[in-house]
Amino acid sequence: MARPDNLHSRLVSWLKILLPLVALVMLSTLFLVSRTIDPSDAIPYSEVDIEDRVREPRITAPTYAGITSDGAALTVDAAEVRPGAEGSPDGSALALQAELDTPDGASTRLVAERGALDQAARLLRLEGGVQISTSTGYRLTTDALSAALDVTDVQSPGALAGTTPMGQITAGSMRITQDATAAGGYVIVFGNRVRLIYEPQN
Amino acid sequence: ANVAFDGLRQDTSLPVQVDADGLTVNQADGTAVFSGNVTVAQGTMRLSAAEVLVEYAEGGGIERLHASGGVTLASNEDAAEAREAVYTIDSGEVVMTGDVLLSQGTSVLSGQKLVINLTSGTGSMQGRVQTVFQPGSAP
Repeated sequence: MARPDNLHSRLVSWLKILLPLVALVMLSTLFLVSRTIDPSDAIPYSEVDIEDRVREPRITAPTYAGITSDGAALTVDAAEVRPGAEGSPDGSALALQAELDTPDGASTRLVAERGALDQAARLLRLEGGVQISTSTGYRLTTDALSAALDVTDVQSPGALAGTTPMGQITAGSMRITQDATAAGGYVIVFGNRVRLIYEPQN
Repeated sequence: ANVAFDGLRQDTSLPVQVDADGLTVNQADGTAVFSGNVTVAQGTMRLSAAEVLVEYAEGGGIERLHASGGVTLASNEDAAEAREAVYTIDSGEVVMTGDVLLSQGTSVLSGQKLVINLTSGTGSMQGRVQTVFQPGSAP
Protein backbone atom coordinates (compact mmCIF):
# COMPACT_ATOMS: atom_id res chain seq x y z
CA MET A 1 0.00 0.00 0.00
CA ALA A 2 1.57 3.34 -1.11
CA ARG A 3 2.80 5.63 1.66
CA PRO A 4 -0.13 7.80 2.47
CA ASP A 5 0.66 11.45 2.11
CA ASN A 6 -2.37 13.19 3.52
CA LEU A 7 -2.79 13.71 7.28
CA HIS A 8 -6.02 11.71 7.60
CA SER A 9 -4.64 8.47 6.31
CA ARG A 10 -1.44 8.85 8.34
CA LEU A 11 -3.47 9.40 11.44
CA VAL A 12 -5.66 6.36 10.78
CA SER A 13 -2.69 4.09 10.17
CA TRP A 14 -1.05 5.17 13.45
CA LEU A 15 -4.30 4.64 15.24
CA LYS A 16 -4.59 1.16 13.78
CA ILE A 17 -1.40 0.33 15.72
CA LEU A 18 -1.97 2.34 18.87
CA LEU A 19 -5.56 1.46 19.63
CA PRO A 20 -5.05 -2.36 19.73
CA LEU A 21 -2.01 -1.84 22.00
CA VAL A 22 -4.11 0.25 24.41
CA ALA A 23 -6.81 -2.43 24.32
CA LEU A 24 -4.19 -5.10 25.07
CA VAL A 25 -2.87 -3.13 28.05
CA MET A 26 -6.35 -2.55 29.47
CA LEU A 27 -7.17 -6.19 29.03
CA SER A 28 -4.04 -7.33 30.86
CA THR A 29 -4.59 -4.99 33.79
CA LEU A 30 -7.94 -6.67 34.27
CA PHE A 31 -6.14 -9.70 35.72
CA LEU A 32 -2.85 -8.28 36.97
CA VAL A 33 -4.08 -5.37 39.06
CA SER A 34 -7.47 -6.72 40.25
CA ARG A 35 -8.06 -7.27 44.02
CA THR A 36 -7.23 -10.75 45.06
CA ILE A 37 -10.21 -12.30 46.92
CA ASP A 38 -8.95 -14.27 49.90
CA PRO A 39 -11.53 -17.07 50.45
CA SER A 40 -10.18 -17.79 53.94
CA ASP A 41 -11.03 -14.22 55.07
CA ALA A 42 -14.50 -14.93 56.70
CA ILE A 43 -17.17 -12.34 57.53
CA PRO A 44 -15.59 -9.71 59.81
CA TYR A 45 -17.10 -9.67 63.38
CA SER A 46 -16.24 -7.71 66.54
CA GLU A 47 -14.19 -9.51 69.16
CA VAL A 48 -15.66 -7.51 72.06
CA ASP A 49 -18.89 -9.47 72.42
CA ILE A 50 -17.10 -12.79 72.24
CA GLU A 51 -14.56 -11.94 74.91
CA ASP A 52 -17.28 -10.56 77.13
CA ARG A 53 -19.33 -13.72 76.78
CA VAL A 54 -16.35 -16.03 77.33
CA ARG A 55 -15.31 -14.12 80.45
CA GLU A 56 -18.95 -13.82 81.70
CA PRO A 57 -21.06 -16.64 80.22
CA ARG A 58 -24.73 -15.75 80.42
CA ILE A 59 -28.14 -16.51 78.94
CA THR A 60 -30.03 -13.58 77.44
CA ALA A 61 -33.84 -13.33 77.72
CA PRO A 62 -34.35 -16.64 79.57
CA THR A 63 -37.83 -17.71 80.64
CA TYR A 64 -38.89 -20.12 83.38
CA ALA A 65 -42.36 -21.61 83.56
CA GLY A 66 -43.79 -24.00 86.12
CA ILE A 67 -47.01 -25.16 87.74
CA THR A 68 -47.18 -25.22 91.54
CA SER A 69 -48.64 -28.21 93.38
CA ASP A 70 -51.94 -26.36 93.88
CA GLY A 71 -52.26 -25.62 90.16
CA ALA A 72 -51.00 -22.04 89.93
CA ALA A 73 -49.00 -21.22 86.80
CA LEU A 74 -45.78 -19.30 87.45
CA THR A 75 -43.87 -17.82 84.51
CA VAL A 76 -40.69 -15.82 85.02
CA ASP A 77 -38.73 -14.01 82.33
CA ALA A 78 -35.61 -11.93 82.74
CA ALA A 79 -33.34 -9.79 80.59
CA GLU A 80 -30.25 -11.80 81.46
CA VAL A 81 -29.19 -14.68 83.73
CA ARG A 82 -25.56 -15.17 84.82
CA PRO A 83 -24.46 -18.47 86.43
CA GLY A 84 -23.86 -18.41 90.15
CA ALA A 85 -20.65 -19.19 91.98
CA GLU A 86 -18.72 -22.36 91.13
CA GLY A 87 -20.78 -25.49 91.60
CA SER A 88 -24.02 -23.79 92.54
CA PRO A 89 -26.71 -24.30 89.91
CA ASP A 90 -28.42 -21.02 90.91
CA GLY A 91 -28.02 -18.08 88.61
CA SER A 92 -28.55 -14.37 89.25
CA ALA A 93 -30.90 -12.61 86.88
CA LEU A 94 -31.43 -8.98 85.90
CA ALA A 95 -34.68 -7.14 85.14
CA LEU A 96 -37.05 -9.92 86.12
CA GLN A 97 -40.77 -10.16 85.48
CA ALA A 98 -42.89 -12.91 87.00
CA GLU A 99 -46.57 -13.70 86.56
CA LEU A 100 -48.50 -15.97 88.93
CA ASP A 101 -51.92 -17.07 87.66
CA THR A 102 -53.78 -18.85 90.44
CA PRO A 103 -56.66 -21.24 89.68
CA ASP A 104 -59.15 -18.87 91.35
CA GLY A 105 -58.76 -16.64 88.30
CA ALA A 106 -56.67 -13.94 89.94
CA SER A 107 -53.21 -13.06 88.65
CA THR A 108 -50.26 -11.36 90.30
CA ARG A 109 -47.45 -9.61 88.41
CA LEU A 110 -44.05 -9.11 90.00
CA VAL A 111 -41.36 -6.84 88.50
CA ALA A 112 -37.89 -6.53 90.05
CA GLU A 113 -34.44 -5.26 89.12
CA ARG A 114 -32.51 -8.28 90.35
CA GLY A 115 -33.40 -11.83 91.18
CA ALA A 116 -32.01 -15.28 91.81
CA LEU A 117 -33.45 -18.73 91.29
CA ASP A 118 -32.59 -20.81 94.35
CA GLN A 119 -33.03 -24.40 93.10
CA ALA A 120 -32.18 -26.02 96.46
CA ALA A 121 -34.84 -24.13 98.39
CA ARG A 122 -37.05 -24.00 95.27
CA LEU A 123 -37.45 -20.25 95.74
CA LEU A 124 -37.35 -17.30 93.42
CA ARG A 125 -35.81 -14.34 95.29
CA LEU A 126 -36.49 -10.85 93.95
CA GLU A 127 -34.73 -7.68 95.10
CA GLY A 128 -34.39 -4.07 94.16
CA GLY A 129 -37.64 -2.10 93.96
CA VAL A 130 -39.97 -5.05 93.62
CA GLN A 131 -43.38 -4.03 92.25
CA ILE A 132 -46.37 -6.24 92.99
CA SER A 133 -49.62 -5.68 91.07
CA THR A 134 -52.58 -8.00 91.51
CA SER A 135 -55.71 -8.37 89.46
CA THR A 136 -57.70 -7.27 92.51
CA GLY A 137 -56.26 -3.78 92.07
CA TYR A 138 -53.36 -3.80 94.54
CA ARG A 139 -50.21 -1.92 93.43
CA LEU A 140 -47.46 -2.38 96.02
CA THR A 141 -43.71 -1.84 96.10
CA THR A 142 -41.26 -3.48 98.45
CA ASP A 143 -37.54 -4.08 98.46
CA ALA A 144 -37.36 -7.87 98.72
CA LEU A 145 -39.70 -10.72 97.91
CA SER A 146 -39.53 -14.50 97.65
CA ALA A 147 -41.85 -16.68 95.57
CA ALA A 148 -41.91 -20.43 96.15
CA LEU A 149 -41.72 -22.52 92.98
CA ASP A 150 -43.39 -25.67 94.21
CA VAL A 151 -46.37 -24.17 96.08
CA THR A 152 -48.16 -20.83 95.81
CA ASP A 153 -46.42 -18.77 98.48
CA VAL A 154 -45.26 -15.24 97.70
CA GLN A 155 -43.75 -13.53 100.74
CA SER A 156 -42.47 -10.03 101.29
CA PRO A 157 -40.88 -10.02 104.74
CA GLY A 158 -40.02 -6.35 104.62
CA ALA A 159 -42.29 -3.33 104.82
CA LEU A 160 -44.29 -2.37 101.77
CA ALA A 161 -46.54 0.43 100.66
CA GLY A 162 -48.89 1.03 97.82
CA THR A 163 -52.42 1.65 96.65
CA THR A 164 -55.46 -0.60 96.97
CA PRO A 165 -59.07 -0.28 95.78
CA MET A 166 -59.74 1.04 99.30
CA GLY A 167 -56.98 3.65 99.40
CA GLN A 168 -53.32 4.01 100.36
CA ILE A 169 -51.86 1.16 102.39
CA THR A 170 -48.63 0.55 104.30
CA ALA A 171 -47.90 -2.78 105.95
CA GLY A 172 -45.06 -4.54 107.75
CA SER A 173 -45.20 -7.67 105.64
CA MET A 174 -47.26 -9.38 102.95
CA ARG A 175 -47.93 -12.94 101.93
CA ILE A 176 -50.02 -14.49 99.14
CA THR A 177 -50.97 -18.05 99.99
CA GLN A 178 -53.81 -20.51 99.75
CA ASP A 179 -56.87 -19.63 101.81
CA ALA A 180 -56.91 -22.09 104.73
CA THR A 181 -60.66 -21.65 105.20
CA ALA A 182 -61.91 -21.89 101.59
CA ALA A 183 -60.33 -24.63 99.49
CA GLY A 184 -59.11 -23.36 96.15
CA GLY A 185 -59.24 -19.75 97.36
CA TYR A 186 -56.21 -17.50 97.73
CA VAL A 187 -55.64 -14.67 100.16
CA ILE A 188 -53.26 -11.76 100.43
CA VAL A 189 -52.33 -11.47 104.11
CA PHE A 190 -50.76 -8.21 105.30
CA GLY A 191 -49.14 -8.35 108.73
CA ASN A 192 -47.00 -6.47 111.26
CA ARG A 193 -49.29 -3.44 111.61
CA VAL A 194 -51.28 -2.37 108.62
CA ARG A 195 -52.42 1.20 108.00
CA LEU A 196 -55.01 2.09 105.39
CA ILE A 197 -56.04 5.65 104.51
CA TYR A 198 -59.34 5.94 102.62
CA GLU A 199 -60.43 9.27 101.09
CA PRO A 200 -64.22 9.37 100.73
CA GLN A 201 -65.04 10.77 97.30
CA ASN A 202 -68.38 12.43 98.16
CA ALA B 1 -85.02 7.19 123.37
CA ASN B 2 -83.56 10.04 121.29
CA VAL B 3 -80.16 11.16 122.31
CA ALA B 4 -78.20 14.26 121.34
CA PHE B 5 -74.63 13.64 120.28
CA ASP B 6 -72.98 17.02 119.93
CA GLY B 7 -69.69 15.38 120.82
CA LEU B 8 -70.09 12.90 117.98
CA ARG B 9 -71.01 15.40 115.28
CA GLN B 10 -68.29 15.48 112.64
CA ASP B 11 -67.70 15.62 108.94
CA THR B 12 -67.87 12.17 107.33
CA SER B 13 -65.99 13.27 104.22
CA LEU B 14 -62.77 13.39 106.22
CA PRO B 15 -60.23 10.67 105.37
CA VAL B 16 -60.77 7.42 107.22
CA GLN B 17 -57.66 5.83 108.68
CA VAL B 18 -57.78 2.16 109.61
CA ASP B 19 -54.96 0.66 111.68
CA ALA B 20 -54.77 -3.05 112.46
CA ASP B 21 -52.38 -5.86 113.20
CA GLY B 22 -53.27 -7.66 110.01
CA LEU B 23 -55.39 -7.51 106.88
CA THR B 24 -56.59 -10.52 104.92
CA VAL B 25 -57.87 -10.00 101.38
CA ASN B 26 -59.61 -12.75 99.45
CA GLN B 27 -58.08 -12.64 95.97
CA ALA B 28 -61.13 -13.95 94.13
CA ASP B 29 -63.76 -11.45 95.27
CA GLY B 30 -61.55 -8.90 97.02
CA THR B 31 -63.31 -8.92 100.42
CA ALA B 32 -60.96 -7.42 103.02
CA VAL B 33 -60.98 -8.16 106.74
CA PHE B 34 -58.86 -6.19 109.20
CA SER B 35 -58.05 -8.19 112.34
CA GLY B 36 -56.16 -7.65 115.57
CA ASN B 37 -57.07 -4.54 117.64
CA VAL B 38 -58.39 -2.56 114.74
CA THR B 39 -58.88 1.19 115.15
CA VAL B 40 -60.87 3.26 112.67
CA ALA B 41 -60.25 6.98 112.99
CA GLN B 42 -62.06 9.78 111.22
CA GLY B 43 -61.79 13.34 112.43
CA THR B 44 -62.35 13.22 116.20
CA MET B 45 -64.18 9.84 116.02
CA ARG B 46 -62.30 6.69 117.07
CA LEU B 47 -63.86 3.27 116.61
CA SER B 48 -61.93 0.27 117.87
CA ALA B 49 -62.88 -3.37 117.43
CA ALA B 50 -61.38 -6.84 117.22
CA GLU B 51 -62.28 -7.28 113.56
CA VAL B 52 -63.52 -5.01 110.77
CA LEU B 53 -64.87 -6.25 107.45
CA VAL B 54 -64.78 -3.80 104.56
CA GLU B 55 -67.77 -3.68 102.22
CA TYR B 56 -67.08 -2.06 98.88
CA ALA B 57 -69.28 0.44 97.03
CA GLU B 58 -70.13 -0.24 93.37
CA GLY B 59 -67.98 2.52 91.95
CA GLY B 60 -65.01 1.53 94.13
CA GLY B 61 -64.13 2.88 97.54
CA ILE B 62 -65.67 1.75 100.81
CA GLU B 63 -69.40 1.71 101.47
CA ARG B 64 -69.63 0.14 104.93
CA LEU B 65 -67.35 -1.04 107.72
CA HIS B 66 -68.68 -3.99 109.74
CA ALA B 67 -66.91 -4.01 113.10
CA SER B 68 -67.34 -7.00 115.40
CA GLY B 69 -65.90 -8.67 118.46
CA GLY B 70 -66.54 -5.89 120.99
CA VAL B 71 -66.69 -2.37 119.57
CA THR B 72 -66.06 0.92 121.36
CA LEU B 73 -66.85 4.23 119.70
CA ALA B 74 -65.38 7.34 121.29
CA SER B 75 -65.43 10.99 120.29
CA ASN B 76 -64.68 13.95 122.53
CA GLU B 77 -66.49 13.14 125.79
CA ASP B 78 -69.12 10.70 124.37
CA ALA B 79 -68.35 6.99 124.28
CA ALA B 80 -70.42 3.97 123.27
CA GLU B 81 -69.71 0.25 123.60
CA ALA B 82 -71.43 -2.68 121.92
CA ARG B 83 -70.76 -6.13 120.54
CA GLU B 84 -71.03 -5.12 116.88
CA ALA B 85 -71.26 -1.95 114.82
CA VAL B 86 -71.86 -1.05 111.18
CA TYR B 87 -70.58 2.30 109.96
CA THR B 88 -71.88 3.52 106.58
CA ILE B 89 -69.35 6.17 105.63
CA ASP B 90 -71.29 8.18 103.04
CA SER B 91 -74.41 8.61 105.18
CA GLY B 92 -72.36 8.85 108.38
CA GLU B 93 -74.66 6.41 110.18
CA VAL B 94 -73.32 4.07 112.87
CA VAL B 95 -75.59 1.24 114.00
CA MET B 96 -74.35 -0.46 117.19
CA THR B 97 -76.03 -3.65 118.35
CA GLY B 98 -75.68 -6.08 121.25
CA ASP B 99 -75.58 -4.82 124.92
CA VAL B 100 -75.01 -1.21 123.93
CA LEU B 101 -73.66 1.05 126.68
CA LEU B 102 -73.58 4.77 126.00
CA SER B 103 -71.91 7.20 128.38
CA GLN B 104 -72.18 10.96 127.92
CA GLY B 105 -70.30 12.84 130.54
CA THR B 106 -71.78 11.47 133.78
CA SER B 107 -75.02 9.99 132.41
CA VAL B 108 -75.07 6.37 131.22
CA LEU B 109 -77.64 4.81 128.87
CA SER B 110 -77.85 1.12 127.99
CA GLY B 111 -79.98 -0.79 125.47
CA GLN B 112 -79.88 -3.35 122.68
CA LYS B 113 -79.53 -1.15 119.58
CA LEU B 114 -78.10 2.34 119.13
CA VAL B 115 -78.33 4.26 115.85
CA ILE B 116 -76.09 7.33 115.64
CA ASN B 117 -75.98 9.78 112.74
CA LEU B 118 -72.57 11.43 112.81
CA THR B 119 -73.46 14.15 110.35
CA SER B 120 -76.46 15.46 112.28
CA GLY B 121 -75.15 14.43 115.69
CA THR B 122 -78.41 12.72 116.67
CA GLY B 123 -79.01 9.14 117.77
CA SER B 124 -81.68 6.81 119.08
CA MET B 125 -81.40 3.91 121.49
CA GLN B 126 -83.82 0.98 121.28
CA GLY B 127 -84.46 -2.27 123.16
CA ARG B 128 -84.80 -2.28 126.97
CA VAL B 129 -83.37 1.16 127.38
CA GLN B 130 -82.11 1.82 130.91
CA THR B 131 -80.47 4.97 132.13
CA VAL B 132 -78.70 6.13 135.26
CA PHE B 133 -78.91 9.77 136.38
CA GLN B 134 -76.57 11.26 138.95
CA PRO B 135 -79.00 13.28 141.06
CA GLY B 136 -77.97 16.78 141.81
CA SER B 137 -75.42 17.10 138.97
CA ALA B 138 -76.06 18.53 135.50
CA PRO B 139 -76.31 15.62 132.96
